[in-house]
Amino acid sequence: MLFRVDPASPQPLGDQIAASVRRAIAEGKVTPGERLPSARSLADSLGVNLHTVLRGYQRLREEGLIELRRGRGAVVVDDTSARGRASLMLRVRELVDQARELGLTEEEVVGLVREGLA
Amino acid sequence: MNRVRYRLMALAVLPFLLAMAVDLTAFALLRDRLPDRLASHFTASGSSDDTQSHTSYLVLVLVMHIGLAALWAVVARTGDAAVRGLRWMVWVGYAVAGLVGYLMVAVLVANADAADPGRVRMPLWQLVIGAGCGALAAGIGRLLLLTVSMPAPLPSPGPGEPERLDLAEGEVAGWMRRAPSRVLLGTGLAMIATALVLLYAGGTRHALVALGGALICLAFSCPYVTVDRHGLTARPTVLPWPRIRVPLSDVDRAISREIKILAEYGGWGYRMRPGKTGLMLRSGEALVVRRAGGREFAVTVDDSATAAALLNTLADREGAKR
Repeated sequence: MLFRVDPASPQPLGDQIAASVRRAIAEGKVTPGERLPSARSLADSLGVNLHTVLRGYQRLREEGLIELRRGRGAVVVDDTSARGRASLMLRVRELVDQARELGLTEEEVVGLVREGLA
Repeated sequence: MNRVRYRLMALAVLPFLLAMAVDLTAFALLRDRLPDRLASHFTASGSSDDTQSHTSYLVLVLVMHIGLAALWAVVARTGDAAVRGLRWMVWVGYAVAGLVGYLMVAVLVANADAADPGRVRMPLWQLVIGAGCGALAAGIGRLLLLTVSMPAPLPSPGPGEPERLDLAEGEVAGWMRRAPSRVLLGTGLAMIATALVLLYAGGTRHALVALGGALICLAFSCPYVTVDRHGLTARPTVLPWPRIRVPLSDVDRAISREIKILAEYGGWGYRMRPGKTGLMLRSGEALVVRRAGGREFAVTVDDSATAAALLNTLADREGAKR
């Protein structure tokens, strides 16, 4: 899978790494149950700090897209909904970015989503 | 299948059918002068140590030539016509047919008028004459092959334009993927089983040889392929070594193309061919890199188009830096 990070972008590097994985899962380039590269080798490949990669992986774990296990590394959750969830997360990110561009506050964004749910 | 392919197959099969015809004709002509049992196996000093009946001689001639013809037919049918090795394989077929065809006749001639098969001699220099017949046949094969207009050998690294990835200036990217091989994994596991059997039946030394082979197969059964700021790297997933690396400064261009591994590299694992090396895990799409010196390295891996585009982009960047 392809990882891209742009140090010039305002988005934190860890988030960019998470975004790369999310995109790969959403596009089906990484399948459920597949192991992600070890944080150490990915950090070496991209020339970033190990903790930056771990922060990105942590974020994906919080989103329920991957599991972090001692000794097994980061594994994409073995769940058929992973792909759908990943593409939903991509859309959420788009929504947040667009809302920020428009200068909406956090409450306003959450309010909009809640309205959409109602 | 096109006409070139049919002609190539016909040319590949022809020498074996001719050799078989020659052997059978020689048998028919010499039949009355042959003893009931033919001396059929010879030691290095030239004396015979085994015999066979006329029937088993005929069966041997038929089975051997037809078997070899079938083998070469498969090679000519499946081989990639654009790869130089295929021509070479067809010449080798002519050489083999010449050698085998001669030896089978030489055995008959040696047996002719012999009273005692045990005293029939077949000196080692007969092999030299056989090799000469093989070389002659290969020369004829080479001339015959000129009548087939084979497609020109592919320029390295193969067809297709090198793609690029739209990386922003300063943007960093890395691509990595496992390239598992079922064949190598299966072979490795089978060799471990063999080692265990040998440990009981054969002795520790044989078991260790089998185990060594198993480890080599397993080490190559699932390489981890990386394209990043260091260049192209392939290493076993679980070990940092043995490692193959093509640094960015050594990358001329990279493409993604289909590879038929038996036709182009002749098998699985780390393969060396004139002018190119490859890590062959399965037939299918592969990342093929032409190095600065013109040599080629290929590894069969999924999503190789992305890897090739990234490798070209990073190599361009590296070139601009220098």
